[in-house]
Amino acid sequence: MEFELELFNNQPLIQKQAADRILKCNELTLKFGLMLTGEQALRLAETRNESLSANGRIEFGGGIIDKIIKEFCDSPYISMNNYEETLHELIEIFYYFKNESLDLISDDELIKFMKSAFDGVCQGSLEALSGRDLEALARNLRFGYAADYSEETGEAEDDDGEY
Amino acid sequence: MESIEKPAAIDRENLSEEFFLQALLESAYSLRMITTGDIDGIRLERFELMAEKAKRYAGCDSDSVRVEVARNIMSSINYSMGLFLKSFQTPDEAVKALKEMKMADILSEGRKRVDITLKTAKAIHSRLISEIISVGNICYNDTVFGGITGFFKLYDPDLGAHETHINADYPTCNPMKRFAGAEFIKKYTEAIYYENTFCRNFQPGDMRRLLYGYDRSYKDLIFNIYEIALTSALGSLLSGGDARRLIMTESAALYLDKFFRNQTDDRIDSTILEAYDGLKKIFDIKGSQELYIKASLKKISSEIKIAVKLDTVGKLFISPEYHGEKPVIYYSCGEKTDNESYRKIVEKIMQSENLSDKILIIKNQIHSLADLEDVLLDAEMLPHEITAVLRGLEPLETAALLKKYPLESDIETAGMRKSEMILTRCLNDLFSSMPEKLKEFIYKAVKTIEFDRSDF
Repeated sequence: MEFELELFNNQPLIQKQAADRILKCNELTLKFGLMLTGEQALRLAETRNESLSANGRIEFGGGIIDKIIKEFCDSPYISMNNYEETLHELIEIFYYFKNESLDLISDDELIKFMKSAFDGVCQGSLEALSGRDLEALARNLRFGYAADYSEETGEAEDDDGEY
Repeated sequence: MESIEKPAAIDRENLSEEFFLQALLESAYSLRMITTGDIDGIRLERFELMAEKAKRYAGCDSDSVRVEVARNIMSSINYSMGLFLKSFQTPDEAVKALKEMKMADILSEGRKRVDITLKTAKAIHSRLISEIISVGNICYNDTVFGGITGFFKLYDPDLGAHETHINADYPTCNPMKRFAGAEFIKKYTEAIYYENTFCRNFQPGDMRRLLYGYDRSYKDLIFNIYEIALTSALGSLLSGGDARRLIMTESAALYLDKFFRNQTDDRIDSTILEAYDGLKKIFDIKGSQELYIKASLKKISSEIKIAVKLDTVGKLFISPEYHGEKPVIYYSCGEKTDNESYRKIVEKIMQSENLSDKILIIKNQIHSLADLEDVLLDAEMLPHEITAVLRGLEPLETAALLKKYPLESDIETAGMRKSEMILTRCLNDLFSSMPEKLKEFIYKAVKTIEFDRSDF
């Protein structure tokens, strides 16, 4: 059964469809000076497959690569020098933290959070994004807190005797 | 020319109950009833159905789900489809349906069957709860009230139709085939219901004493209660006892030991079957319950055969034990005669002038204590006449009447008819005049007597 599901992710048709959707995003990203070739799109589709497999997930919809591209294309920390490389990392980070957050956050909300942190406190550092802010998000969701719950804020509220 | 039915290519018995769809596909493929192309088409359609359900599960918020979730959903789809395919007369017809119908339609039909099966299981469970025997076995009660109820709360027919959820610790007498999901709970609940219904034929006190004789810690043990009761009932019948009472004396157990010792295996099987025919008449067993109990006989015969080899037949038939309970005498007042005959008897008695004539009529024409009681109330006999009749009773019969018309200290005369008050007075006077030892015996019997349920 698992083998069959693996095949589901890796079907050539699905790969092609994913690559086509990635390339379509060039229409939007061009105005930010960002563009991907056909080969790059296929490599990103491949990264998607590998990440899904590594994280034990299966994808049915259109996929999230184009959503990530549309959200991150206006980031001041992304240029043609690091565009493809950053997208590979973001895809891997995305699927990893979908699992870590126990699917308690939607695709769109997670991508928005990633963008906000990447451009904000992380100042373009993917290590800070995955090692700090997304870890905190996943922990908050697992313990039933809001996505942006902060332990420091929690301590302050304790002092006042309020939750 | 009559058409000759082609024998089915696929043997239904060889197909897994739990993974029916997969087993059917494998068998059909190996017999070349379906091609690789057919399989691919079926697989693709199933994946599409799974994707649809997975999206619904993810709530349109995610384009991906964990593989375990997808696997679970696929298993649920396979199960539901399998349930529909099982409904065909033969597996061959089910394969034909797989080739001709859309998977979405098969799934839809399967889901309807899941719902019907679940509804049936709930109805059986509801009856079981209202009729459950009271023997105090923890595992039995926990399973009926907790386990099975818990299943219905946890079961998701949409995304987890194949899930069984509960451990089903209580073992049924007849082995359960490996069913799953709604089918499992229906068959399991049904089995316990048939077993419970059989055990309801016995007084709760008799059941408890039998189980106490099986093991003093029976309340804490995990074992099949019905098997013990059925074995005991069969044994009682074979040894000439009352199958309704589950009484097994030491001498009866010895008799059965000798009885079975020299029998062949086939003879043991037929003996048990004949005894079961006797039980069927006594307890009016019919329908599906009859089939269930008949299937249990194989196990009981097998246990007897093993016991014969090990020389432990006597231990197989359990002697009930009392535990902290006072002994009970179950008394039946017998059957009443029909109204027309009864009316004629009462008329004859009322028309007789002599006491001896009245007593003769009663001796010859009254055959149950129930009728005697009615005659003493209806025939307008004088107190000394009633007393004379009562003198002719056996001590237990006197005790049974005193149970209904209590001793003076317990009398509550409000609401009593005049005839009842006269009968009560006569009984009391008679009792007072008895020798001390007899009075002691009757007094104890009164405290111990319980009337047979069938009298009411």
